[in-house]
Amino acid sequence: MHASDLAVDVLLGLGVAAELLCVAGVLVMRTTLDRLHYTGAATGVPALLVLAAALVRTHMSAAGLQALAAVGLLFLLNPALLLLTAHAAARTDRPEEP
Amino acid sequence: MNAFVVAATVLLGALAPLLVAASRRRPIDGLIALETAGAVATLALVCLSVGLGESIFFTVAVIAAVASWIGGLVFARFLARWT
Repeated sequence: MHASDLAVDVLLGLGVAAELLCVAGVLVMRTTLDRLHYTGAATGVPALLVLAAALVRTHMSAAGLQALAAVGLLFLLNPALLLLTAHAAARTDRPEEP
Repeated sequence: MNAFVVAATVLLGALAPLLVAASRRRPIDGLIALETAGAVATLALVCLSVGLGESIFFTVAVIAAVASWIGGLVFARFLARWT
């Protein structure tokens, strides 16, 4: 087993485990904002770990750049979605406020 | 079957409870589950494309990332305005 294979296995294992932890958090937490917190975490460190594993395997080829684009979009766009969802959650819980 | 295909299978398996939660909880919590499912599906597609060596799946992953984001925005605006 090469060092790159070991690095891929470790990065991928950590990334998938962290992603499953975030999924469990979304399912188990009681309040809406707690669930939203885990949703935000799901596109942070776990996504970057999976991207790192993909880049170790594919290097900076066209496939690696496309993986970078997919995870980069997820990482950069998701905070705006989280803010809007938190706003919707606040409006849902207190509909009389503007 | 390499590590990426195994990871994609595990991530696709994690979609099931999220979709159940999205269909059974109140709308705002369902939306949160749906947003998480979009992120998990995108990562699963990235893993699948690396594992199978099919470059077409990378394009699907990019489209999934953008489409799930746009869908989440629309649902969030809808919930904020009409609830």
